[in-house]
Amino acid sequence: MAGHGLRVNAYLLRRGVGLVVVYALLLFVAVIMGMPLFWMITTSLKDITQALRIPPQWIPNPPQWGNYPAAWNAAPFAIYFWNSFFLAVTTTVGDVATSIPAAYVLAKMNFFGRGLLLGLLLGTLMIPGQMLLVPSFVLINRLGWYNTYWALIIPWTAGVFGIFLLRQFFKTIPDELWDSARIDGCSRLRYMFQIAVPLVRPGIATVALFKFVGSWNAFLWVIIMTDKVGLRTVPVGLRFFMMDIGTDYPRLMAAATMAIVPVLILFAFAQRQFIQGIARTGIK
Amino acid sequence: MKLPTLRKGRRFWWDTLEAYVYLLPTLAVLGVFTFYPFVNAFRYSVYDIRTRTVPGHVVYVTVDSSAWATTLARGRIPDELADVLRKRGATPDDLWVRLRQADRWVIKDEASGQEYIIVREGEEIRVHQATTGWAMEWVGWANFTRAFRDPDFGKALLNTSVYVGTSVPTTLFLALLLATLLHRELRGKAFFRLASFLPYITPVVAITMVWAWIYDRNFGLLNYFLSTLAGWFGLQFSLINWLNDPRYVMPALVIMNVWRFTGYQALILLAGMQGIDREYYEAARVDGAGAFGVWRKITVPLLTPQIFFLLIISLIGSFKIFEEVLILLQGPGPQKSGLTVVYYVFTKAFDAGHYGLASAASVILFAIIFALSLFQLTVVQKRVHYER
Repeated sequence: MAGHGLRVNAYLLRRGVGLVVVYALLLFVAVIMGMPLFWMITTSLKDITQALRIPPQWIPNPPQWGNYPAAWNAAPFAIYFWNSFFLAVTTTVGDVATSIPAAYVLAKMNFFGRGLLLGLLLGTLMIPGQMLLVPSFVLINRLGWYNTYWALIIPWTAGVFGIFLLRQFFKTIPDELWDSARIDGCSRLRYMFQIAVPLVRPGIATVALFKFVGSWNAFLWVIIMTDKVGLRTVPVGLRFFMMDIGTDYPRLMAAATMAIVPVLILFAFAQRQFIQGIARTGIK
Repeated sequence: MKLPTLRKGRRFWWDTLEAYVYLLPTLAVLGVFTFYPFVNAFRYSVYDIRTRTVPGHVVYVTVDSSAWATTLARGRIPDELADVLRKRGATPDDLWVRLRQADRWVIKDEASGQEYIIVREGEEIRVHQATTGWAMEWVGWANFTRAFRDPDFGKALLNTSVYVGTSVPTTLFLALLLATLLHRELRGKAFFRLASFLPYITPVVAITMVWAWIYDRNFGLLNYFLSTLAGWFGLQFSLINWLNDPRYVMPALVIMNVWRFTGYQALILLAGMQGIDREYYEAARVDGAGAFGVWRKITVPLLTPQIFFLLIISLIGSFKIFEEVLILLQGPGPQKSGLTVVYYVFTKAFDAGHYGLASAASVILFAIIFALSLFQLTVVQKRVHYER
């Protein structure tokens, strides 16, 4: 009897220890994942002598809030933020607007060249974007778009990621819905936008979110296609800011925090869409 | 899902027409900005491409050319043109001297950086905005031989391969472990999921700046942790000069990107794990398999679709590493230890103006990525499926 009880206890103990180990490991991972961001924020609130203290001062005392206005005023960040915001909104709207009909057609219609087209679009995922830098640069110059918003917007108003993700969502709508709508005299365009689109709203939110964040973070394309201060996005501006002020880490970290916080806020509000988008990329 | 095959009657062709109308915007943008440049990438690689400044659209033209001839002959410049010149930072006298010596003169507006070309044709004088003109000359394989003979390109290939070869498997392995830890009933699972996801969504430029600070030799967080750790074990630790010691540049890049992508990959794997039928686990338990046995024999094999997806995605992604180098090292790094293929392409094209050579280098990069993806998609994946 006693022996039996001991065995159960041993089992529970092992399970308990196992769980403690799992939690400890996960906590360790969480600390590592969060540390750079924490370090960025605390550094942004120190003055330079506090920042260079060893061992580090974890909580800045007193916090130097003045680093933020100092960083903000040291470079035209208002322009950078406006550009990032403007480009993110326009490319997101464009991408969603082109992806919806394309995804619908590829999910629900039978037409000539459908298989070939799907293969072609899937194939573009294999093209490393960096390979297109030189030809795109030549093209943008020939179009006379160098140093214009056109160069930063138009090429990004269509994307394969959005099409494939939305296509998965459209596929889940039963065909009977279209059949009955057609019998009632509904045109395909109207059906698409008034009936199908509301049904795939979560998918659209996910696509829009990824596009917005991707656009907000645009860097390489922007430094190649423009060289005007007035067209810099936040990441491009950050880079020039870094080259200007060197190793004034508190102010650099204040600027980095300002660049990251909008994305974090967006993420906090739309966590579900982010996770869903990521989980779905793997299922494809 | 297979669509019902319609008889290819009138309906089918009407549908085809309608479908392409809806596809038109996408196809137009992708056609112009993806497919066309893709073809050009190959085409440009066999050309020598140079840019030169050529006259663009006209911003000023002399109104009355006969009156001009007399003013020029008398050595005077009309007021309108003098204004144009003053705004560009040149004086009328300069123009006068120049136009006697040559038919054209290029001036730069210091304020906007815009260049202007002043052209004299007979009695007419025009001020053009300068634009870039492209001159292409067929050179065959010369760009490729030049790339392969360039020790810098070899170094870039080697560095990139080392980076890919270490970061891809490390990230995937850690992601698999993290996903396994997360794949159970847990309190605060949402928190752990959020924490692992956080690095992935942070903008690369901003977060790389943070890492540049973490890697600081004297005051950086990483050296502080390492020296503390060494202190606990009573070991000697000399501060590592992460970003200025050629031996540590690659590890620095790898550590940073392992940090960035492990959580993202873990979430994809976790989604895959949650899709595995519970019956498999129960059957394995009944057969007396231990936790590790279940993991090795059931979980991992059934995750192959996700694992291969991640392998391909991260291979393509890792070969493209560039921004991190630019921000972290502010250049190719000490002894070019951080020189990657895309960095090579970038500097050759946009700093040195060797567009053909840069295209050849990017075609080589594409060939490598393509071959590896193809190899994975066919040979490796098939073998794993057979073993299952």
